[in-house]
Amino acid sequence: MLLELENVTIPTFDKQRIIVNNVSFGVKEGSIHSIIGPNGSGKSTLAYTIMGLTNYKLKSGKIKFEDKDITDKTITERAQLGITLAWQEPARIEGLSVAKYISLGVKEKSRIKEKVKDVLQTVNLEPEKYVDRFIDDSLSGGERKRIELAAAIAMQPRLIILDEPDSGLDVIITEDFWNIFNKIKELNMTILLITHREDIGMVADYGTLLWRGEHLITDEFPKVMLQYCKKAGLKEFCKRALFKNGVKCFDDDYIDKIFEGVDLND
Amino acid sequence: MTNNEYPEEILQSLEDYNIDIRDFLPGHGSGAKLLLDFNKISGVEQVEGIILKGREIDNGIVADIIIKEGTHHEEPIHLCFGVNKESGIQEIFPRIIAEDNTDVKIQAHCSFPNANGLIHKMYGHFYIGKNCNFTYSETHYHGEKSGALVAPVAIIYVGENSTFENNFNLTKGTPGKVKIMIDIYAMRNSTIRSNIRAFGKNKKDSIRVRDSIFLEGENAKSLIKMKAAARDGGEVLMYGITEGNAPHCNGHVECNEIVLGKGSICRARPFIRATDPTSSVSHEASLGRFPQKWLDELQAKGLTEQEATDILIEAMLRE
Repeated sequence: MLLELENVTIPTFDKQRIIVNNVSFGVKEGSIHSIIGPNGSGKSTLAYTIMGLTNYKLKSGKIKFEDKDITDKTITERAQLGITLAWQEPARIEGLSVAKYISLGVKEKSRIKEKVKDVLQTVNLEPEKYVDRFIDDSLSGGERKRIELAAAIAMQPRLIILDEPDSGLDVIITEDFWNIFNKIKELNMTILLITHREDIGMVADYGTLLWRGEHLITDEFPKVMLQYCKKAGLKEFCKRALFKNGVKCFDDDYIDKIFEGVDLND
Repeated sequence: MTNNEYPEEILQSLEDYNIDIRDFLPGHGSGAKLLLDFNKISGVEQVEGIILKGREIDNGIVADIIIKEGTHHEEPIHLCFGVNKESGIQEIFPRIIAEDNTDVKIQAHCSFPNANGLIHKMYGHFYIGKNCNFTYSETHYHGEKSGALVAPVAIIYVGENSTFENNFNLTKGTPGKVKIMIDIYAMRNSTIRSNIRAFGKNKKDSIRVRDSIFLEGENAKSLIKMKAAARDGGEVLMYGITEGNAPHCNGHVECNEIVLGKGSICRARPFIRATDPTSSVSHEASLGRFPQKWLDELQAKGLTEQEATDILIEAMLRE
């Protein structure tokens, strides 16, 4: 496993309440692993804690990256080990050029212009139109998300955490983002994808379902999605929406059985 | 004028701002120019429609710039007030008149790379006529010893339907003691933008800016943007003043200052006043540290907190 969480419990800032309770799962190297769950289930909190954000500390448990305990490492140390995060509200630092922003995390600065152009192409932005622009109000939310992704890819990390990359975007862009995620995977980077949208999540190989801070299941993504639908009482949606590479993931009869309470492993 | 007639140290001194003063020397580009080497005029170049005259006085010069009616110039008028010496007094008295229907920019470079006891003072008077588009930008570099005392004063009249933009930038090197006073009087339908950026980097750096705009004409508009940082004992005080004294005028003052390290002080004193019931004047100010989530965003890219802070300052103070 590239990343392992062992009995991770995360409290609120004031430590009065638990947001994520005793969660354990692993993320396989080279995979796209999606954490799903309804709003308020602790997905983003978990993502920020894995990244090591200043205000997100464990109450108990361990986080391991490449078999090394990183629980006490700072955000900078984790980034230098090869973990990064593309934010839900990305590229907020106005006043930097797009090229400068993308190159911030690049360790080897030789051929930096070419590297910036390459990653802009990876996220389907035309380099000539963006390298000399500044991060400011003239960029749309979608453009900022792609620039943020480009900056994360430019670091060549081992693990990219994508926090709700779909938020604020039109549904029509979904397929484009699937393509980008697959390109990232081809670059030998592992993706931990935080989303509450099943159409974005379906690109994932594996999934973890969080429900009110509790870990319900980690498995192949369609199986996780089926459990999510069952938990939310969305049988018809499940029959209509669970496709992978154009192929229906489960027969309708199987879905009926699952919703009748038959154990998934039977 | 060739490059080697002007002190090389001054020519190179604004590289951190990505400005190469060589590009503005006489014989380069098509803009009017006036270069001062301490208190000696070392180059003047005029262009059609712009009268530029300098006269040496005891401790400096009087510079008269007249932009003739209807003159439009893309290339900026370049004023370079360089001092290569450590100490002395340089006093500049610019008198600038932009006649009606003109469109020009003035780019002033004030560079004192070896300042250590140097005094630079300016007493500027600007008259901007009707229907003008006028930009005045001043970029300063005071060396690395915090050894300058710089005190520019400017009184600026902006005529009807004119746009005036003022940019003052002192973000590289160590400023020393800086006292800036700007009074701008805005007439009917005029638009004023004033951008001040400064960075105090140690306890010998003290920057005080009083930027005042008086909206005296109907529908006059203004925006003051003051951005500053103080580090390691540096001190910055920004007064952003706007008065709405005419019908339907509209002004806003915005001040953002960042404090870094023990002993540093940032103060913002927006002062707004309205004497006409149809005027609208507002202000906002923020002081302190950068939001943690901005630092986190950069640290997640592998930067240390110090590196992330430097990047944020660079972004905030970008010209």
